[in-house]
Amino acid sequence: MIDAFMVIAYVMVIGIAIGAVAALLQKDLLRAAFLSGAESIALAFLFQALLAPDLGLTQAIVATVLMPGIIIIGIFKTRRHEEE
Amino acid sequence: MIELNLQFLSFMAAAVLVVIGLGGMLFLDNLIKKIIAFTLLSDGVNLALVTLGYVEGGIVSILEPGTSGAAFPTNAVLIFGPGIVLTNIVIGVSTTAVLVAVTMVLYQRYGTLKASKVLKGERK
Amino acid sequence: MNESISNLWSIPLFIIIPILAAILLNVLYSRKRAISVTAVVSSLALIVVSVLSPFGFHWFTGQPAVLPTGGYTYRADLLGWNLALEYYYGPLQQIAIFLASVLLLFVVLIAINSLKKNTGTYISLLFLTFMSAAIVIMVNDFYHLWIGVEIGSLIVAGVVLATGEAVSQKAALKYTFFSALSGAGLAIALALILGVTGYANISDAIIAMPLNDASLASVLYVAFGFTVLSWIYAGGLAPIHPLKADVYGSAFPHATILLQTQSKLMLVAIGLVILRLFGTLPFAKEVMLSVSVLTMMIGVVMAMLQTDFRWTLAYLIVSHSGLVTLGISLGTVQGIIGGLFQAVNDVVYMSVLLLACEGIYYFGRGTSIKTVSGIAKRAPWLAVAAIIGAFAASGVPPFNGFQSEIILIQASLNYGMPELAIVVLMVSVTTFIALFKGIYNIFLRPDDAPQAGEKQGMPVPRMLYVCLAALIFITILFGVYPQLAINFLNEAALKVVYIPWVP
Repeated sequence: MIDAFMVIAYVMVIGIAIGAVAALLQKDLLRAAFLSGAESIALAFLFQALLAPDLGLTQAIVATVLMPGIIIIGIFKTRRHEEE
Repeated sequence: MIELNLQFLSFMAAAVLVVIGLGGMLFLDNLIKKIIAFTLLSDGVNLALVTLGYVEGGIVSILEPGTSGAAFPTNAVLIFGPGIVLTNIVIGVSTTAVLVAVTMVLYQRYGTLKASKVLKGERK
Repeated sequence: MNESISNLWSIPLFIIIPILAAILLNVLYSRKRAISVTAVVSSLALIVVSVLSPFGFHWFTGQPAVLPTGGYTYRADLLGWNLALEYYYGPLQQIAIFLASVLLLFVVLIAINSLKKNTGTYISLLFLTFMSAAIVIMVNDFYHLWIGVEIGSLIVAGVVLATGEAVSQKAALKYTFFSALSGAGLAIALALILGVTGYANISDAIIAMPLNDASLASVLYVAFGFTVLSWIYAGGLAPIHPLKADVYGSAFPHATILLQTQSKLMLVAIGLVILRLFGTLPFAKEVMLSVSVLTMMIGVVMAMLQTDFRWTLAYLIVSHSGLVTLGISLGTVQGIIGGLFQAVNDVVYMSVLLLACEGIYYFGRGTSIKTVSGIAKRAPWLAVAAIIGAFAASGVPPFNGFQSEIILIQASLNYGMPELAIVVLMVSVTTFIALFKGIYNIFLRPDDAPQAGEKQGMPVPRMLYVCLAALIFITILFGVYPQLAINFLNEAALKVVYIPWVP
C-alpha cells in the first residue's frame, strides 16, 4: 500500500535526478540557474518526507531566493550564454 | 533483492547529485556552470546526511508537549543529520557568493568565462 | 597548572574580540586613525587575555564531557546522545594563541602603514583569520572543528583577493572550489563518527569508538580518509600543495604570515585529532607518514625551481609543514613534541623571512630574483634579518630551527626509521640552498648601474624593522633556551600518547 505522501517523495527523487542533469546540459546559463533552483526545491520536499521539516523550510528559502539570486547576479554581471 | 524504500532511493538521489556535481566541477569549462555543479554537490551531501539519520516509520525529532519521553529516543529520526545540514546549507550559500564574486572579477579582467582560458596561466 | 572543571571566562573572548573588532573595522572602512586605534587595541587585548588566562574548559551547551579520570559528569539520556560542544585552553593552546596574537599585532601594524584603501575591510579579514585559527586549536568537538576549517578557508580566499592581482584571484578561485570538496568530506566524516559513536565531542567519541567491531571497520576507514583529506587541504600538504602554495605566494607577504600561522595551527590541531581518534587503526600512521614525506620532498624541490623570492618562501612553507606532519604522525611523545615545537619555530622564522620579503618588495618594487638586485647596500639591516631567517630555517645551531629539527631527527631514529632522519636533513640542506640562491641574487649581486637611479623604491615603514627585531629576538630565545617552549608542549604530547581521551 502506497500513500500519496510517498508518491510525492518518489516523484521528487526522480525530479532531483532529472533537474540536476538538465541544469548542466543547458547552453543558456540563466535557464541552468533556474533548473538548479527547481532541483533544490524538490530537495526541500524530499527533506520534508525524510522527517526533517526544519531543514525543508530552510532549504526552500535558500533554494527559491538566495542561491538562484546570487548566481543570476553573477550571470547579469558577466554573460548569459556559454561561449563556444 | 534490494528493497526500493525511501531511504535507498534518497541515497541513490544523493549519489546521483554528488557524481553529477563532482563531474561538473571537474570537466565543465564554464565557470558559472562549475558553480552550479558545486551547488548540486553540496545538495547531494546534505541529502546524504539527512538520509543517514532517517528512521523508517519514525517521528520528527522535535520534543512536543504530548510526546512521551520514553519512546522518543527510539522512534525519533537522528538529529545529527539536520544539525550539520543546517550549517552546511548556510556555508554553501556563502561559498557560492564568494565564488560568484571572484568569477565576476575574473570576467572583468579576461572577458571570458571559460576556465581553460582564465586559469591558463602565467605563474611568476 | 590547576585545571578547574568550570566554564572559563577567557575562551569566549578569543572568538568575541576578533568578531567585534572585525565588525567595527568593517564599519569604519577607511578612517585611518580610528582603524589603527581599534585594531591595535583589540590585538593587544588578545595578547593580554592569552597571557592572563588560566587553563581549563568552556562548554557551549553547559555539559562537561569526559572527566580526566575517564568517567562522565553528565549524560543527556533523554535524547540518547551527548552534545558537549567543548573548548579547551591548555599550555599548547596558550603558546599557540599567544604567538598568533603577537603576529596579528605585527601584521596589523604593517597593514595599516602599507595599505592605501579599503584598510578596514582588509584588517577585519585578518582578525577573522586569527579567529578561525584560535577556534581550531582550542576545539574539542567535531562540530566546531568543521565550522572553523570552513570559515578559515573562506576567509583565506578574501585575504588573498585583497592584493588585486590576477594570480591571487585565480588562486582564490581554485582554493574556494576545493574548499567545497574538503568541507563536504569533513562533514561526511563528522556524520559517520557521530553515527558510529553517538557523540560530537571528541573525548566522548574516543571512549565510545567501536574499534573491535569488524562490521564498522569500513565506516571508520571512510571517516579516516575524509578527515585526512581535509587535513591535507587545511594544512596544504602534498597531493594538493599547489593550491596552498599559490595562496601563500600571491597574498601580500605580511598577510602570508597570518595565513601560514593559521594553516600550521590547523595542521597541528587536526593532526592531533586524527592521532587521538584513529591512531590505533592499522595503516593510519603509515598514511600520515607517507603524506609528510611526499610533502617535504615536493616542497623543497619546487622551492629550488622558483625564480621569485615570494614563491620560494611559499613552497618552503609547504615543505616545512611536512616536518610538522612528520613529528605528529610518528605518534611517539618525542615525535609529537618535535612536531609541535617545529610548528612554533616554523611560524616564527618564516615570519622573519616573510617580513624581509615585504621589505624587499618596498625597496625593489618586486621580489623576482631576476629584476631585483643589490639591496644589501641600501638596506644592510634587512639583509642581516633575511640571513638570520635563512639560517634559522635551515637549522643552523644558535637559532630555533636547529632545536626542533634535532628533536625530529632523534625521534625518527628512536622510532626505527633512519630514512626519515635523512629526509629531514635533506630538507634542511635544500632549504639552505633555495634560500641562499634568492638572498644572494637579491641582496649581494651588484646592482646594474644605469637602473639604480630610476628604481627608487617606496619608503619602508619603520614598524617593519621593529617587528623584525622582535621576531629575531624570539628566534634566538627559542634557539638558546628551547625548554621555554617545550615546557608548554610536553603536556599536550603526553596526553595525546597516553590518555588520548583527555583534550
